[in-house]
This record gives sequence, structure tokens and C-alpha cells, in this order.
Amino acid sequence: MTDLEEGPVRPETPEVEHAEARASGLLGVIMVIAAVVVLVDAARLRDSDDALGPAAAPTLLGVLLGLVGGALAFQSRHFLRTPKARPAHLWRLAVLVVTLVVYALLLPLMGFVVCGTGLFTVAALLLGAPHPARVVAYGWTLAVVVFLVFDVLIGLSLPAGPWGF
Amino acid sequence: MGDLLNGFADALTPGNLLWAFVGVTIGTAVGVLPGIGPALTVALLLPVTFRLEPAAALIMFAGIYYGGMYGGSTTSILLNTPGESASVATALEGNKMARAGRGAAALATAALGSFVAGTIGTIALSAAAPFVADIAVNFGPPEYVALMAVAFVTVSALLGPSLLKGGASLVIGATIGLVGIDTQTGQARLAFGLPSLFDGIDVVIVVVALFALGETFAHLVAGTGDSRVEPLRGAPMLSREDFRRSWPAWLRGTALGFPIGSLPAGGADVPTFLSYSLEKRLSKHRSQFGHGAIEGVAGPEAANNAAAAGVLVPLLTIGLPTSATAAVILTAFQSYGLQPGPQLFSESGELVWALIASLYIGNVLLLVLNLPLVRAWARLLTIPAYGIYAGVLVFACLGAFAAGGTIADLIVLTVLGLLGLLMRSAGVPVAPAVVGLILAPLAEQQLRRSLALSEGDWSTLVSSPLTVVLWIVVLLALLSPLLRRLIQTRKATSLKH
Repeated sequence: MTDLEEGPVRPETPEVEHAEARASGLLGVIMVIAAVVVLVDAARLRDSDDALGPAAAPTLLGVLLGLVGGALAFQSRHFLRTPKARPAHLWRLAVLVVTLVVYALLLPLMGFVVCGTGLFTVAALLLGAPHPARVVAYGWTLAVVVFLVFDVLIGLSLPAGPWGF
Repeated sequence: MGDLLNGFADALTPGNLLWAFVGVTIGTAVGVLPGIGPALTVALLLPVTFRLEPAAALIMFAGIYYGGMYGGSTTSILLNTPGESASVATALEGNKMARAGRGAAALATAALGSFVAGTIGTIALSAAAPFVADIAVNFGPPEYVALMAVAFVTVSALLGPSLLKGGASLVIGATIGLVGIDTQTGQARLAFGLPSLFDGIDVVIVVVALFALGETFAHLVAGTGDSRVEPLRGAPMLSREDFRRSWPAWLRGTALGFPIGSLPAGGADVPTFLSYSLEKRLSKHRSQFGHGAIEGVAGPEAANNAAAAGVLVPLLTIGLPTSATAAVILTAFQSYGLQPGPQLFSESGELVWALIASLYIGNVLLLVLNLPLVRAWARLLTIPAYGIYAGVLVFACLGAFAAGGTIADLIVLTVLGLLGLLMRSAGVPVAPAVVGLILAPLAEQQLRRSLALSEGDWSTLVSSPLTVVLWIVVLLALLSPLLRRLIQTRKATSLKH
């Protein structure tokens, strides 16, 4: 298992450093864009009579976002310019993100158990699970147990499909 | 003292004891899973406690908290995947011991060390908390603003590889905290006209997204490799020699962990590394360090648990969370209708003392539960990675849905998960973001309150000796990287000549 936690145990190979610098450059660029959004949003707020209006905090944070994001992007400017060697598994991420959105949309229609089983199955298969049939069985069992514990036992009402679970 | 005894009377009823037991068990079970640290454990399991009455919920929650802490150390030792940076130091020697076939002894010293440190830490908490609360009652908004500034700066500086990356995380979190209706003027900020964003983004959703989805996404992109679980040989017992080497390390770790953890500064991780280097310096077996020295497990593990109790001091008495876990605990309190702060002890004293009493009980339960069951926990580690992360995803969505209750919350969860992935790949720690998310709105509120009281006079922020001292601390913390660099260049130039 790869160790993705922050902390000093990560092995620092040049490749890892390169990928990290590119990601931090991308994060910097996104922060600068977010800074613009935050500042525009702050500018449209009506001022109040208070010493510190509602726009003060967003303005400060917008400026900080821009500065810190700019610094991150500046630090890794050399890496951003070099052509990207795309991570091979980016399509898996895309599939999972789409699955999560579909899950969110179907949850009120199909109920927790069916959607949970689907989410578990897709995620497990994307992560390299063998035996699709067995994965469906595991997912179904987990979803049913969660539904029984949370909905029936604890009383936290989960969305139920037309079939009541 | 009488309050504490009443707390014990509340916590020791059969019903509450059962909740403590359930909390400790599921906390350990989830905390053991690789990649799931205490902050994520408490966030994922928070919905379990939603429907209980406040006392039972708090008691169960205390169990989950300590159980998650303990479970995390098992994973660090047997799998070398510390779920949180506070258990990185434990993994350093612990995993080496496990590889050398001494995993059982490593787990035993971790369990006993956690118990000793947790118990001493909880005693210190019971003694210190009312005292600090008495002082904090006199704090006005300017003191709060200064305290929060200290927390901001230290959290960014200490919880990350650099002030810039820690700061980036903090600012991102604080910006997420802006989303929603501004309490003073009733205007929506950063909601983009979406009604589901008017209430703001729930902390549980942010924690689950940044930690759980970020981790799952990272596994997807990287492709999951093989994990190496060290087999467990022999009973988890300490030999006389191991015990003789462990106990001073437990006590030293506790002595470092509790005071540093209880400072209103971000530092739950710092004492674990301090303890590691202290043990290395003091040890008679220095050559064993790096190859599995038992002191190197005993000290940091004790420091970690003592700091976990210490973090509760600023959290309960001032309402100031200084770690990601503490930020989730604060949310949990609010969802039970309690507001941590100096008034907590006077207004909801019974509940707080029941909570503190259940921390003692949780510690005992953990020791009773864990040493005999350590094999069962270790077996959880053999669940394949795809099963764990797919299951975590199901729980993450459940947690987000329980916290928010709408479909939009699940979309927010996904988007923030992608942000978590990017931060992780960029080497930006996610813990400061969680602290920023909680503290920034509080800081804004206190700042506005101070300025309203002083009628717009900014000098109110440095009107008392305490605030002046705290702002000096902020300046020093900000300048320290610069100073360090200056000293280093001077050393380098003097070496050249």
C-alpha cells in the first residue's frame, strides 16, 4: 500500500518531487482563480454600519488566497511548463467521480441499499477487486447491515426506494 | 472532585457503560483500518451518536475518540501506514519491531503506554480544565481574537512541511468556512444563489471529503500496491526487560505530551517527535534506534495519548480546537446542543464531568479489550484495500448525508474530495484546513464583537497584557522561519571562511 499520509516518512524520489511540484503548482493556480471569485463575491455584498462589514473577511481571505496561491504557483513554475506525464489511472478517478454524482442523483429514487451496493461495487472494481459477483455480494451485505443499524436501530432515516429499503 | 465523582456515577450506569463499550469497540475497529486516523474515525462515526440523548452520545463519542487513537497505533505498528501525522513517530520504531518479530511487544507497550498516558492525561485534564475555565471566564473578545491568531499561525507552521503549505491549507479551510449566511447582516456569502449552501458547509462533510475521499481518490490514481501486514507472534506481553525500558519512556512521553497538547497552539504532533528524539538521546540502546527500539514506541505513543487529553483543555474551556480531531469534537458538541467555552463547566457541568469520567472508563475498557483482542484487530488489517476503501466511500456518503441531509451535500463532498486529492498530491497537509474552517468564522465573529464594543477602535485588540503577549507570540512564530534561515546562511558563510 502506498503511504499517502503527510509526514516525513515518504520516500523522496525525484519523480515524487516532480509530481508533487506539479500538483502544488496546479493547486496554486486554482487558489488564484478562487481568489478572484471570492473577491468578486465580496465586492457585491452590501456594506453594514458595523466597524467591520460582511465583506472584510472575504476580502482578506481573497487576498491571502491570491498571495499564497501565487507563491505556490511561482515556486513550481518550472514544473508547470514541462509537458505533463499523465498519471495512468486518471480515467479511474473520472469514473468514480461520475459514479458519486450518479449515486447522489439516484439516492432519493432507488433507496440507500441499492445505491450503496452500486457505489461499493464500482469503487471496489476500480480499485482492482477480483470476482465482480463476490464484490456485489459484499456490497449488498454492507449496505443492508448499515441500513439496519442506522435506519432501523438508531432511527436515522435513510432514503428508501420504492421497495422500502 | 465531587463533580468528578458525580460524573462517574452518571457514566457508570449500565446503559452508559454499554455505550462506552460500544464506542470503544467500533472506534478501535474503524481506527485500525489503514489510512483512517482518529479525526476521520470520529467524523465517520459521528452519525452513530446523533440520535442518542446528549449524555449517552458524549459518552459513546469519548469511547470512539480513544478507541480511534488506539486503533491507529495498531495500524502504524503492523502496517506502517500511520493514519495521522501524530502516529508517524510510533510507526518509525514500531514497524521495525514488528518486522523483527517483536510486533506483540510493540503493541503491548503501545497499549500500556496509551493507558498510562491516557489516565495521567485525563487526571491532569480534570485538574486543569476547571482552573483554565475560571481564567477564561474573564476573556473578552480581544483575548479570543489573539488566541485564535496564535492558533492560526502555529497550526500552519507546525502541521505541515512548510509555513507556506500549512498556510495554504489554512486559508483554503477558512475560505470554505465563509460559505453561508453572514450572521450579522443576513447576506449570503459564496453561496452563488444555491439554497443548499446558505447554511454553510458542515464540518463533517469537509473532514470526510478531505481525509476519506482524498485518500480513496489517491489510491485510485496511484493504483493500489500490495500491503505488507506483519504477522503477530506470541502473546502481547512485555518481558521484564521490555517493561523496565518502557515505563520511564511512558512517563517522559506523558510529561511532554500533556502540557504541549494543552497549549492553545496547534501541536498534537509535536510532542510525539520531541519524545522520539528525547528517547533516542537518553537511551542506553541507541544503536537499536532505527531497528526497532521499544523506547521509540513507548515514548511517542504515550506522548500522543497524553496530548490527545491535553487538546481537550483549550477545546472544553476556551472553545478552541487545535487539531483536526478537536475540530470534529467541537462539531459533535454543537450537534448535541453544547457550546464549549468557559460557560460549559457552569452551564452543562454534569455532562462535561460525565464525559471526563467516561474518558477514564474508556481507557480501562480499551486496555481490557485490546490486549486480549489484539489478534482480532490485526486480522482486520488483512481486509484487502479495495474492500476497505469501497466501504469507507459508502460510509463517507452516509456521513455526509446524515450531516447535511440533501443531495447537494453529496456533490459538495465529491468536489471537496477532489480538492483533498490535489492538496495531498501537492504535499499540502489537510489538518490545518479543518482547523481553519472551524476557527476562521469564530475569529471573524470575535473580531467584529471586539470592534463593536470599542466602537471601531482597533487598539482594543492590544488593550490587555495577555493580548500583547499573544500577539508577540504570533509575530515570533511568523518570523521564526526567516530567523532560522538567517542563522543558517550565517553559519554557512562562516564555515566557508
